[in-house]
Amino acid sequence: MMETIEKYLGKLVAQGLVDSSEDASLFSMDDRIYSKDENIPQIVEYLFKTLNITSLIIARPSRLILNIIGELKKVCPDRIAPKDSESITFIHDIPVLQDMDSKTIATALKRRKGCIATDGSIIATGSITLEQAFVVFSSICFALFVKYFSDVLNSLGGSHGNVHDECTVIEPSSTILGMIGPPGPIRRPSLVIPESEYDVISTKVDTGKATVESGLVDSFFGNISYTLDDYMYISQTAAALDELEGLIDKVALDGSSTNDITSSSEMGSHLRIHELTLDRAILHGHPKFSVIMSMYGKPMELGEKRYLGDIPVVYGRVGAGKKGLVHVLPPAMQESRAAIAYGHGTFTSGSESFLDAFDKMLYIENACFEMLKGLLSI
Amino acid sequence: MSKYTLKCLFVDLDSRSVRFEQVPQDISLKYIGGRGIATHLLGLNPMLKAGEPETPLIFSAGPLTGSRLPSTGRMSISSFSPLTNTITSSSVGGNLGIQMRMAGLDVIHITGKSRNKLVLCIQDRDVSFEDVALGEDTPLQEVFLKLSSRGSVAAVGSAGFHGCLFASIMVDGAYAAGRGGLGYVMASKNLVAVTVRGSHRPGVGDRYMEGITTEDILRLFDASPAIMGVSGIHRYGTVSLVDLMASRRMMPTANFRKTFFEQYRAFSASRIVSTFKATHNGCYACPIRCKLKSDGGKELPEFETVSHFGALNENADLMSIIEANRICNEVGMDTITAASTIACLAEIREKKYTGDTLVGKVKEMASGKGLGELLQMGSRRLAEELGQPGTSMSVKSMEIPAYDPRGAYGMALGYCTSTRGACHLRAYPISHEILRRPVATDRFSFQGKARIIKIAEDVNAVIDSMGACKFAFFGASMEEYALGMKAVTGLDIEPQDLITIGERIFTLERYINCQRGFAKEDDFLPARFYKEHGTPGPGLEIPPIERALFKETLERYYRVRGCSPDGVPTEKRLKELDII
Ligand code: SF4
Repeated sequence: MMETIEKYLGKLVAQGLVDSSEDASLFSMDDRIYSKDENIPQIVEYLFKTLNITSLIIARPSRLILNIIGELKKVCPDRIAPKDSESITFIHDIPVLQDMDSKTIATALKRRKGCIATDGSIIATGSITLEQAFVVFSSICFALFVKYFSDVLNSLGGSHGNVHDECTVIEPSSTILGMIGPPGPIRRPSLVIPESEYDVISTKVDTGKATVESGLVDSFFGNISYTLDDYMYISQTAAALDELEGLIDKVALDGSSTNDITSSSEMGSHLRIHELTLDRAILHGHPKFSVIMSMYGKPMELGEKRYLGDIPVVYGRVGAGKKGLVHVLPPAMQESRAAIAYGHGTFTSGSESFLDAFDKMLYIENACFEMLKGLLSI
Repeated sequence: MSKYTLKCLFVDLDSRSVRFEQVPQDISLKYIGGRGIATHLLGLNPMLKAGEPETPLIFSAGPLTGSRLPSTGRMSISSFSPLTNTITSSSVGGNLGIQMRMAGLDVIHITGKSRNKLVLCIQDRDVSFEDVALGEDTPLQEVFLKLSSRGSVAAVGSAGFHGCLFASIMVDGAYAAGRGGLGYVMASKNLVAVTVRGSHRPGVGDRYMEGITTEDILRLFDASPAIMGVSGIHRYGTVSLVDLMASRRMMPTANFRKTFFEQYRAFSASRIVSTFKATHNGCYACPIRCKLKSDGGKELPEFETVSHFGALNENADLMSIIEANRICNEVGMDTITAASTIACLAEIREKKYTGDTLVGKVKEMASGKGLGELLQMGSRRLAEELGQPGTSMSVKSMEIPAYDPRGAYGMALGYCTSTRGACHLRAYPISHEILRRPVATDRFSFQGKARIIKIAEDVNAVIDSMGACKFAFFGASMEEYALGMKAVTGLDIEPQDLITIGERIFTLERYINCQRGFAKEDDFLPARFYKEHGTPGPGLEIPPIERALFKETLERYYRVRGCSPDGVPTEKRLKELDII
């Protein structure tokens, strides 16, 4: 338990979700509560007693997110409802607490997996593992960032002047604008053209780590695949891209095995992209400026396509259902080997190496950052 | 809070009398419906024996049954089990629950024993008893054919009347309330079938919210590889797990002496789907449709059945697996116990029953004649009778399903703490230990599993009580279904409140079992799992489970569940949960 607590505390800091490990308290519970703190706060005991959860994170997010929370709270005092696709699917809305007594917190967490405390801290829970609480925490940070900037853009008279939510930030804060920068520091994956299963796996592990270290995937996990001979090697569902060792499914392209029931939810899209483009390396991340810029303008309808520069933006649901990305994303990828899923993330491919796919994703993210800067006159 | 009272029909088969009653609001709210209200009703008289006339057989729909929310066409059938002597309940699909709700009923509570075989017919408020002249061995399909014009039908087959302790109740021909011998209870009442037809759609508090929640749930189904993915159950049914269980080296083989069957591809999902040009079928209001049908319209078996009539019996003959399943459904027998009992016999006799021989054994079992008389008692009694009790792979006399506990430690614990004997569905940790939903846990570790299993048991108890399907939770969560509950019932209820209701139900089940004499020593796996290795795979060892570690985890589980060191729910916890 303590090892897991250390691991996720380290990840909170490494991914810039908190400024310092002092800002975060992590708790896990089995038949007793585990924590780095010697004294378990009463409120934590109360929450574990009241809620059917196994883990809890209470942490002050990074200064940037804290500022964003401050701004969003002015217009959304009770609940924040982000409109990016992952939040709509998994988070729904984020309660904002008015009070810090234990009952108020428990009431909010009885309904949702995470909430925002009066001082801007984020409280996140997990019903099974601490990783879940970490994902909730990270997803909330991502969702708030995206909501803030897409609100600001759209209410500044984005080309269509549309707003995405009933409570929308109108005035950008110069403090916040002064705190953002392009993605970085960047660590590019090595240029390897895999020739064996061993190569495929080690390249994928390296690329996954590089994608996370370079800040191109936040919150939910992203996914990555490589096709060699008659198999696609794809990351498993709920596998963090920086921890892919042992979490790669080998999927027969002829559909003769159903082992891939544990593969990424976007496997259908990966298969179809490979089929249409013959590209071997496919990468999907959640670079935040690309997500924000994909939401600039009129909210998209399912199945619709538009362009950001020459990159197609498509809208479909996560996964392979009738309204899924699987139907709209692969044709867009065929067009330009890169596409942004509206309010969700970027898919890129490389004919033989991940470096290609990574560079395209980074290029698009930089371009989106520049676009955002231009629009906000930063 | 709006009025919430469950409508109950009490039927006494001795006097052929009925009475309609509303369950008081406080009880209705505490137990919500489905498995929950049945547990409460059974708990009123916890020492009854399966097969005695006064033992109730309870059909109970959930508040969501018949709503438009996805995957909510389920209901429960409950009683005391002749196989395990525990309380037991089985979640089942088909139209029975929906018809009950359309007839204005949440619960049908049946006691007594009819002098002659009869059918209980319910049409809205009209209840009639019809004597039937059916031969001992009338196939269930004939019963369904005969009765289907009267609405939805739940029927017991010949196995129940032959005294099979794991006889099932079949609903609408294709849906089994399989485990624990509910068919035996029904047959012991001389009740051949229950038919229900209703004519009023149950009301919905907030149709708009129901629609929004439905969309939220469908979005999560789409995002779940286990449901709508390329190899998800939507596409291949539950047999999509065959390949995975084999590659994880946790496919019970040769009566659990091995955990890998080399010829598993003979019954893999792609083989089954292509051989039978399978199409999909499913429960009411379910977009997942995880049931497979052959192009001739025949029901194809579920994963558990395929794996146990296949690997557990070292049988690579797909046709015999299909036939064994067909016979079980025709006579009304639980396929998991049937297959496991035959595998147990095979081990005792140092034989293999495969192909036609396997089918022959199933027929013998169904007839209840000759060795069949012993086979239909289940593996625990069979193994004891034949002097080798260690060969029964069961917990509390219920045979272990097709996930080897050495390959998933949460599952190992869940089999032992399940309130109806070794059941994978009470906690279903396969979801996170194997399918990585909603997150992955280390399948070879007990770390954190005590609380994880306890919470999952509570969650699943309330899922069964609402009338929802557990497979829906490979994608959606209690957050969405709680909103659905609000929309449908108008109750101001949050996800965590629902889980607490689940905790109340599960704790009461455990308490009832303790009153019936179950104790800590009943919460262990058969010795084999603590002593013998499973079959290794590439880079993968399957060691036996450390018994001391298991015991320690079990004791942690007791603490988390609010039990004494002996595993009995404490008075304090029972009071906290408002059970006593
Ligand atoms: S997922 Fe399968 S078992 Fe569950 S409701 Fe749907 S069809 Fe029925």
